[in-house]
Amino acid sequence: MDQLQLLLEGFAGALTPMNLLWVLLGCLIGTAVGVLPGLGSSMAVALLLPMTFALDPTAAFILFAGVYFGGLFGDSTMGILMNTPGQASAIASTFEGHAMAKAGRAPQALAIAAIGAFLGGIVSAVAVTFAAPALAEFAANFGPAEFFALALLAFGAISSVVADSVVKGLTSLVLGLVLATVGVDPISGAERFTFGSMYLFDGVSLVVVVVGMLALGEVLKVATRIHRDPKPEQLGAPGSRKFLSKREFKDAAPAWARGAGIGLPFGVIPVGGAEVPTFLSYDVERRLDRRRRDPQFGKGAPRGLAGPEAAGNATTGMAMGALLALGLPVSATAAIMLAAFRQYGIQPGPLLFDTSADLVWPLLASFFIAMVVLLLINLPFAQLWAKLLLIPPPYLYAGIVVFCGLGIYATSPSMFDLLFFLGIGCLAFLMRRYAVPVAPLLIGMVLGPLAETSMRDALLGSNGDYSVFVAGPIPIVLYVLLLVVVAFKVRQVVVTRSRRDV
Amino acid sequence: MSTAPNAERGDAPRQLRGRGGLLVPLVVAIVCTLVVIGMVGMEVPPETTFPGPRFFPTILVVAGYALSILLVVHYLRHPDEEATETQYRTYSDWPAFAWVAGSFLAFAVLLDVLGWILAAGLLFWGVARGVGSKRPLFDVSVALLLSSLIYLVFAAGLGVTLPSGLLGGM
Repeated sequence: MDQLQLLLEGFAGALTPMNLLWVLLGCLIGTAVGVLPGLGSSMAVALLLPMTFALDPTAAFILFAGVYFGGLFGDSTMGILMNTPGQASAIASTFEGHAMAKAGRAPQALAIAAIGAFLGGIVSAVAVTFAAPALAEFAANFGPAEFFALALLAFGAISSVVADSVVKGLTSLVLGLVLATVGVDPISGAERFTFGSMYLFDGVSLVVVVVGMLALGEVLKVATRIHRDPKPEQLGAPGSRKFLSKREFKDAAPAWARGAGIGLPFGVIPVGGAEVPTFLSYDVERRLDRRRRDPQFGKGAPRGLAGPEAAGNATTGMAMGALLALGLPVSATAAIMLAAFRQYGIQPGPLLFDTSADLVWPLLASFFIAMVVLLLINLPFAQLWAKLLLIPPPYLYAGIVVFCGLGIYATSPSMFDLLFFLGIGCLAFLMRRYAVPVAPLLIGMVLGPLAETSMRDALLGSNGDYSVFVAGPIPIVLYVLLLVVVAFKVRQVVVTRSRRDV
Repeated sequence: MSTAPNAERGDAPRQLRGRGGLLVPLVVAIVCTLVVIGMVGMEVPPETTFPGPRFFPTILVVAGYALSILLVVHYLRHPDEEATETQYRTYSDWPAFAWVAGSFLAFAVLLDVLGWILAAGLLFWGVARGVGSKRPLFDVSVALLLSSLIYLVFAAGLGVTLPSGLLGGM
């Protein structure tokens, strides 16, 4: 029970008044951005990234963890009340959740969502605590060929799963990889694609790209459509009973457990975050529901809400484990966290548990604290959070852009970076407008250097013999996994096409 | 129906209607071309062994050109259905886009001259206007209040260097 001992020490580190304040602040910010439609926790983490440099790393990551999980608690609130999910991971919860609200059971739906998110998060935090060190130990003997296979798996999975077309996903990925090659080549020392500009000598700033892609691009997209899309309607019908009855609790309990079980493994499979597992869990619950005597789906089935909520948070928590132990980001938000680690000169990966134990264990402990805090601020007050919609949208978006400007200027005070940032924002707008996903670009940019150096190191070590990439058992397993993901996607495309033809 | 005649609306030529997606492969092709230009002019240290600094970008360029061709095919076969919306001339509200992007451009260029409080206030005001605020005068006070507040918290409180600009001399 080594981990338990370390975790308890972590709690001691995390339970200082200052760190508790950061957890609370992170949870509040995360819930707020989760509740507001269109803002995701990835955008919040991106905007906070430049501003946390004044903090020490532990405080910064505790804050990020709060935002990260808070987004997943808040995103279902709007989905349930107004049928507008706060971010993609809440879409699956919206179907039955909104149906429950329409049936006058909004408080029950909000409670089921909050408890589901809490349970999923706790299960994953426990899993990370015990599995991540083992995972790190396993990954400690990874060589260049293994890391290259891992990066390739991440690239293939994210670009095939996130987009409606694989071509668009790969395009986004290639753009990200190209951005990552700018600057001095670490192996040969050659200057690449700087075109003589001293601003590009150190490469393209990840902060500029991340904030531009996620925040400015989103605001541009919203601005061009806000007068034209129909406004969602607030469902102002709060139910009479405030809390869950024992029977409802019992009804939802198995779905929570199944959801968490489905969500956990997806934390280490890079398919772009919690979207896939939430839909998978929704599908499982629907199939099970059809076999019951009185099918509830469509009329507001608590299980159809409980499953996806638990799955979403289980994936998110486990993804943090994969990030810490392997240095592998599975979603855009995780990619930004990885960038944040690097800003502090910390490299997540197998060695992290040895070199930065004083950071890792308080961070893991803060997961547990964040879950409790989030349950406390979401369970009784979900209806209050809905009041955030009273902020006039022009001020909300104008505020976001001003904070973008502040963040970019604080990290690199130059007109060049501000203009480059505007360019990235316009690119992000173009991509969003034509349904090209931005997550592969971010993953590509973050993992690009790892992919390139491990590929070249492997080839340097083998004197240019390409068979080095399939020499060990681990790379082969990873490539097979990649094939499985791609085959899954192909099947999905074929199925939707043949359905359309019928 | 992207090929429906739109001549009376007098905007983009009709064969281009719904083809705005072609901008995506265009951008990809431009990026790839820049990479090729960069590779040609690259100074590689003489002692570099295979695979050198050009190895990885070469793969990316080949993939990038191939993808841009596939994207051209994709966007020609699936024209943008949203562009056939009849209520407005264009799918996107370009004046709103210009307000937001233009405000940021002005912010980037004028920040050092005007200083944070005025430049960020201008940015806030412009974006709010672009997103549809109808009260320009009231917005000015909100904008200046927020930018001053940020200046106080971040520059005075947290020690982030923000330019004081015009107001600094007063």
